[in-house]
Amino acid sequence: MSEGVSSLEESPSDQQVDLSILSELGKNALVNSLNSVNGAKTLVLDPSLAGPLGLLTEVSLLKHHGVDKMFWLEAGPLSVTTTNIVYLCRPNIKLIKTIADQVKRLTQDSQKHTFMLMLVPRTSTLVSRILEEEGVLGDITVSSFSLQLIPLEDDVISLENDNAFKEIWVDGDETAVYDSAQALITFQKLYGLFPRILGKGDAASRLTGLLTRLLPQASTSDVPETLMAPSEKLDSLIILDRRVDMLTPLLTQLTYEGLIDELIGIRNTYVELPSSLLNQSTTAGPSAPPSTAANTSTAPAAVLAKEKKKKHRLTASTDKLFAELRDLNFSSVGKRLNRTARELDEESKHGKLQAKTVAQLRDFVGKLGGLQSLRLHTGVSEMIVPLTRTDNFNRALEIQQNLLSSYDPSAQITAIEDLMAQGADLQIVIRLLCLASLTNGGIKAKTLEGLKRDILQSYGYDRLPLLLSLSSPSLSLIVPNPIPPSFPPSVAASKIPWSSVRKALRLVADDEAGNDDSPQDISYVYSGYAPLSVRLVQCVAQKGGVLSNSATGDGRKNGKSSNPSELQVRAHPIIGWRGFEDVLASLPGDTIDVQQKGLRGNNVNGPSADATKMILQDRTSTTVVFFLGGCTYTEIAALRWVGRQSRGEKFLIATTSIISGEGIINSISGGSKGPPSKEATL
Amino acid sequence: LSLEEASTMSDANAKINAVKAAQKFFSDDKERGFEAKMMDESVRLLTFQQQLEKDVDGKVLVFGQSVDATIHTCLVNGMTKKAEKVRSDFKVPDKRFWYIKLRALTTIRDFDGLDAF
Repeated sequence: MSEGVSSLEESPSDQQVDLSILSELGKNALVNSLNSVNGAKTLVLDPSLAGPLGLLTEVSLLKHHGVDKMFWLEAGPLSVTTTNIVYLCRPNIKLIKTIADQVKRLTQDSQKHTFMLMLVPRTSTLVSRILEEEGVLGDITVSSFSLQLIPLEDDVISLENDNAFKEIWVDGDETAVYDSAQALITFQKLYGLFPRILGKGDAASRLTGLLTRLLPQASTSDVPETLMAPSEKLDSLIILDRRVDMLTPLLTQLTYEGLIDELIGIRNTYVELPSSLLNQSTTAGPSAPPSTAANTSTAPAAVLAKEKKKKHRLTASTDKLFAELRDLNFSSVGKRLNRTARELDEESKHGKLQAKTVAQLRDFVGKLGGLQSLRLHTGVSEMIVPLTRTDNFNRALEIQQNLLSSYDPSAQITAIEDLMAQGADLQIVIRLLCLASLTNGGIKAKTLEGLKRDILQSYGYDRLPLLLSLSSPSLSLIVPNPIPPSFPPSVAASKIPWSSVRKALRLVADDEAGNDDSPQDISYVYSGYAPLSVRLVQCVAQKGGVLSNSATGDGRKNGKSSNPSELQVRAHPIIGWRGFEDVLASLPGDTIDVQQKGLRGNNVNGPSADATKMILQDRTSTTVVFFLGGCTYTEIAALRWVGRQSRGEKFLIATTSIISGEGIINSISGGSKGPPSKEATL
Repeated sequence: LSLEEASTMSDANAKINAVKAAQKFFSDDKERGFEAKMMDESVRLLTFQQQLEKDVDGKVLVFGQSVDATIHTCLVNGMTKKAEKVRSDFKVPDKRFWYIKLRALTTIRDFDGLDAF
């Protein structure tokens, strides 16, 4: 990890794609739409937008542009003092009804109010129809605020639309696909055309279709130079449809950042931690004078008593230690923390004696900052460790590993039953069940019925809709085996021939050699399983890595003394799926390979020739990987690892949102967390 | 399918009716035999729970709980017979029943009962 980060920092000229433009764009759009309303205004926010907006702006900026007060958009009356009210929300029927309700109420009060509704990311006819039905369309100005790709890290951009997965595959609602297309077109306007688009999956192919169709439209009105020719910095766009690889998000993530997301939860890069963990770290330090040390001894006690949750933003740009830790397998996090602690300790001893010049002193104080983050991460790890030691966690992990290697599937089903009988989380059970169904091409009809019955009896009959949508043809996460003839053929087509795919793409590593500080294959992220999605990316961008790790692995072991950069595989130009057509054909969904030549058409040689040229010039090119339907932190970690394996190639990860298996199950089971169930006492 | 969204109602009778409606809906479709059966069970459970609450004058709240949770509550409140009835009515597998019983006995610290295993 450190390698990747430092190389980015050392050579900014090498960092091809400047993402700050994207966040500028979002910020300006917001400011402009706010300025379009004169005077002081009240901003009413859709709670699901608060996180994404927080990544773009700060409250102070909003205040600066005349926002007087901010409210959450909730049912019930709204008390406002300003005449202008700006609503900012996603086009969601329930929210719009609430708004209509509030508008009606406020207009009755005979006070003069001006209403404005800003829809993210765009308006829809449905919304205006609802407003019309409610009879308030005349009172309200509807406009849109296009919230598009937001940079989360310097190599991750996201639409932060948490419901995208559910909308596309459960509700059959394709707006998320359209929005993704819009966002990608904006991206191309800024950075140039993707010379080549590759992808896998039905929804991915619809997205590609939209991209190629919308592009000429977008460029007729005003033609930005960038849309004319293929970009020189970007070498391709790889679109992966979440449906193609359902396995990966269902597994328990084992990288540091992934585990935090699994067990504590990360929302829009913020994680909620006990505030004691955060506050303490600011006051305590080894060189703290005795007086403050006395203070700290009393302060934590008070904080602990309250134990209020506080939000902390996890980001690698300010926290160097986190940058090192986030992609490590959790088993090696402790080791790394220990090492850093020792280094800091030595340096501080050293520093006390020698810090004489001002520069040295400043250097030393800077190190103390590192200590704070060390404290934080030690604390977080301490929180996670007991959770990973629980029986259920480990048993679930064991079942996962066994299922992946197709070891005695029926025994695994029994193990799942056991977990259920012991009152494990519904979420864990469902994830394992989906996994079992996916890897075995379905579960025997009779067993499946028994399992479903068990689930309904243990977790309540109101879980039936969840089971239904999981086995619906569009998802078919849980299917009976053999598939009854009544099912549409698409279900049969969506089966993954797991064992052959596993072999062809080397998804399960035989040895766990990668499970240490210097992993040799992406399978380290799941302690032995290489995410299918990332392997697919490798199929395009790094073919050698898919076929064997022994070549590169042995090379590394033998040649550690020689120049490491020589050992790195030279990135080869993007030449499509060549070599892996068979595997791809066996996976469900369309395979996409489109070349975009730009409108000028002076590229006689075609983009692949361009790419070759680029490699010869020893320049770094960026491959954008777009996950339609979300990706996990672990997949990001794996992709970063892949990016580090080859020179001259960088990955930029774009996604509709960052997801985890739990998030998926929750969103399918109805978005809201549901009624606080009494089973919790069980 | 939107019918069972209605089954999140709080009122006891309305809830039973909503589930019944869903059951009917499922039984119309031959492919949905399993779902219809499950909804049928759900209605039975709800009526059983309603009856149970009446029996104990609403001292124990079980309405709307899952089968397992119902057994658990029954056991915790010393209604072993009721628990056994739920078990046989809904064909709860032995393995699961014993786990529930184990947990229930631990919650009420009935160590004699635990010993008797």
